[in-house]
Amino acid sequence: MTTSVRPYPTLAGSVELEVVGAALDGRPQLLDMISRQERVVALHLNERSDWREARLELRARLPQRELSTGPWQKVECVAVLTEGVTNSRTLRPLRRASDGSWAGSITVERDLHRVRADLDLFVTATIGDVPGRIVGTDENPWIVDLTARTPLRQRTLEINEVDFGDADVPWLSRFKELPWLVETSGGDVPTVHLNLGFEGLKELLGSGGSVSEKALRGSIAAQIAAEAWTAMFHSAISELELDDDGTPQWPGGWRESVLRIMLPDVHPELPPADALFEAHSSRANGGGWHELQSRIQYAASRRAKVSRSLSTAIRSLDRSKEARA
Amino acid sequence: MDNEVGAEGYGSWLEQRLRQQGISTAELAKRLDVTPAAVSAWIGGRSEPRDAMKRAVANLLGGEPTPLASPVSWYHRPAHADGGREFGNAAAFAFDADVSVLAREATQNSLDERLDSARPVRVRYTLHELTGDHLNFFLRDLGWDDLEPHYRVAAEQKQKVGRVLAEALRELREIGSLLLLRVDDFNATGLIGGDYGDSKFAAVVRDQLNSNKSSNQAGGSYGLGKATLWATSRFGLVLINSTLSEPHEGRTERRLVGRLELPWHVLAEDEFAGPAWLGTGDPEREGIARSWWADEATAEALHLERDTSEPGTSFLIVGAHDAAGDTGNLQDMHRKLVSTLGQNFWAAMTSGRDRTPLLEASVVTMRNGIFVTDEERVDPHVEQPACARALRAYLDGDTVDQLTAAHQVALAHVTLRVPRLGTEPRTEGGAEHEAVLLVTPADDKDESSNRLVCMRGNRMTVMERAVRDLPLGTDPFQAVLLAGRATGRETRATGLAEAFLRAAEPPEHNDWNKTEELAATYARGALSRITEFRRDMDAAVRGIIGRRKAKRDGGPDVLRDLLRLDVANTSRRVNAHPSIRHVSASVDDSGAWQVQAEVKLPAREDAWTLEAVAKFDVRSGGRPRVPWARLAAGENCRVENGLLMFSPGARSASFTGVTDVTAHPVNAAMASLVVDLQKARESA
Repeated sequence: MTTSVRPYPTLAGSVELEVVGAALDGRPQLLDMISRQERVVALHLNERSDWREARLELRARLPQRELSTGPWQKVECVAVLTEGVTNSRTLRPLRRASDGSWAGSITVERDLHRVRADLDLFVTATIGDVPGRIVGTDENPWIVDLTARTPLRQRTLEINEVDFGDADVPWLSRFKELPWLVETSGGDVPTVHLNLGFEGLKELLGSGGSVSEKALRGSIAAQIAAEAWTAMFHSAISELELDDDGTPQWPGGWRESVLRIMLPDVHPELPPADALFEAHSSRANGGGWHELQSRIQYAASRRAKVSRSLSTAIRSLDRSKEARA
Repeated sequence: MDNEVGAEGYGSWLEQRLRQQGISTAELAKRLDVTPAAVSAWIGGRSEPRDAMKRAVANLLGGEPTPLASPVSWYHRPAHADGGREFGNAAAFAFDADVSVLAREATQNSLDERLDSARPVRVRYTLHELTGDHLNFFLRDLGWDDLEPHYRVAAEQKQKVGRVLAEALRELREIGSLLLLRVDDFNATGLIGGDYGDSKFAAVVRDQLNSNKSSNQAGGSYGLGKATLWATSRFGLVLINSTLSEPHEGRTERRLVGRLELPWHVLAEDEFAGPAWLGTGDPEREGIARSWWADEATAEALHLERDTSEPGTSFLIVGAHDAAGDTGNLQDMHRKLVSTLGQNFWAAMTSGRDRTPLLEASVVTMRNGIFVTDEERVDPHVEQPACARALRAYLDGDTVDQLTAAHQVALAHVTLRVPRLGTEPRTEGGAEHEAVLLVTPADDKDESSNRLVCMRGNRMTVMERAVRDLPLGTDPFQAVLLAGRATGRETRATGLAEAFLRAAEPPEHNDWNKTEELAATYARGALSRITEFRRDMDAAVRGIIGRRKAKRDGGPDVLRDLLRLDVANTSRRVNAHPSIRHVSASVDDSGAWQVQAEVKLPAREDAWTLEAVAKFDVRSGGRPRVPWARLAAGENCRVENGLLMFSPGARSASFTGVTDVTAHPVNAAMASLVVDLQKARESA
């Protein structure tokens, strides 16, 4: 893991930000749109999409005693709302409340955001002659999700069940003979489109059915998943930012999750950062790119449990053959 | 400690008293069933009535009775005539001698004995350590010379009590310190009534397992609570000073008595049953001591003097100890008392905007008469912030139906259908009681959350339970259920609910469940009512906090499970590679970074060769790498060709480095630094 040090004293105590209330266009919302455990605010809980602004009530706890005895002058506490996709950045200062905590609110403008914004908290102070240096931050930012109905961190891919021939999705029509399609571009998280126009697919992937239907279902699901993991890995490895010495940086978001999950299977002998460097350089320099393909396939198959579901399928076929014999 | 007035003084007092109240000599004689001549002799100072008669006179005339002339001393109960031996008070052994149990039981007793219901009952716990002369004077005034021989022989016995006593005596002798724990209550009934028979006084001082409580909503109706006082004393010794709310023998203040619990023992060929009382001899009952009215000096000497004349009782536990063993010193015990009181009585201590609390509690620690800590008032909003906030909102009528902010308290009603009694006709009896459920988001300071605290009566906690079937990912909350009188309502249904729930409690008063009493007292179906009540309170909690069922983003389960992005449960081989455990760095006068780093190495036979890299951290974009001007090995490593070679088998190592200031892209003081270990690269 990377450790960053600053050339001035920073806070040892913890800095904690909490969202304690939310209002849409001035109307207070139920608390269950906020999850303190997940640190997520789900603004679409009420499935109202016509709101213009959301106001979040914030409360922060700072190590007050450390701040008052330390070398920090003009301490300020600011909440920062950012979303990479729209490159928006909103900053609001919090004020010290009577009980020692810091309180304030921040506005989420619907027009400035698209899907999901990060809400960070920074404590700044003047040190020496330099004003506004960051001396502390809440290491677990909140997520403000504009489209989610439940305040949960995204943990799976989007699975979109749609008829590829549907006029609403013209861009899928050219794939309409395919049973499924994995899409890693554009959207915030990768999406697996399942073609409802492909007869029997939905029923096959649904629940219930005979033993051999179940076996086939597992095997098809594994095949889709393996393709999805492979596509995701390629997408993730192809959009890395590099340090000056050519070291790739972790990309954040789902891309980082995918890389961290798969790299230990791609390069089991290397620590994650070195594995990332190896994977990136074999792609960028061409050297070892073909060998890497097999390694990616291995990692994706492991994720998708391809071997296990195929074995299950074969065993069940054997059994049904014996039963008939 | 005696207060001689003499026959003459008594006569003139009696004469004055009769005159004030307009009672004739003959009238008094008739009421006392003595001859008028005897009364005349008393008034003339020619003779003095016996103590029992003096008390009878005082009861009739009120006011100052005669001070007791008999000396105060210890009276040891002789052994049972049948030769039966008791090796310790069974009631005292039903409890662990844990100060938190004591604080719970004693405070509940005080709450139950609250006198003026418009004001809180005030409870104070004083820990007082005595050493040196302070200890010696106390022991002298306590009559230690008389007690010690009894303790010595009792301590020689093999039973548990004997061992505890032997240890207590040894410590007193060798360490020379004694801990007194004093429990005071104010605005309470006090130990009223006669020394014997059916009185509060007798219930506490004489009897065992007898409860004589003022109110029928009391908790400890099994009378075990007071035994904790004696159980907390390593010497089985408790002194009592009570200020009475109703005069007894014409007096209210400084009714003193001491009680000692020893096992059966033999001293100088006399057999003793074990218990002993400190008091004055009762002429009517030989060998038995009764309470006495003490003067200020005596109460002071015995550490029993009360600061006001407000009714209530002070118990002094001599040689207090915490057998739970988690309190090493005075401060620990102080803290334990504060948190026990906070945990068990936050509700009784919570006040509303214009409602006083039922209880105020404080803890103070002293050493040889000097305060070690200031009196610490137990604050429910510090000890149980979320629960106290919930109750205050209810008392103030500030609750909401649905939570929209973290400080809010939601209120819902839970119906308890109280069945009719088994003896009542089918068409009568029973009622519907609306219990109050309060739910609020948990506070960061709360130690445990997602629990439901159920209370009744004077807001005593009956049980704390987990709420069943909560959806996953529920944010931490606290919930409080007020049933019966705890709702603050005084209706017929409230009273019935109170009685019903009480019948549903086991002797420990820690559950509402199916009990034999419930089945015996109430009509058929009573048992399922309690089950329904429990189920409905869970449902009500879920109704307030339960997140709506997560609407999944679709897709077949079989596929979704294969596409999970959680890293946590998939990462393998944790720490299988060297990593930087800690970096400290500063910018020196020349503007270069001075770096000290510690490295954690996984177990491996072979040596590791790695490259240490320093980069300037930037918010976005590529991070500029800065070369080392100097890289020096520390523990368990050496530097070769600019690479770190870690010794084989080592588990930790360290190195230091100084960056090359000429290669810095910006002033180091204006940037942050990242230090990393990586595999040596050919091109690097």
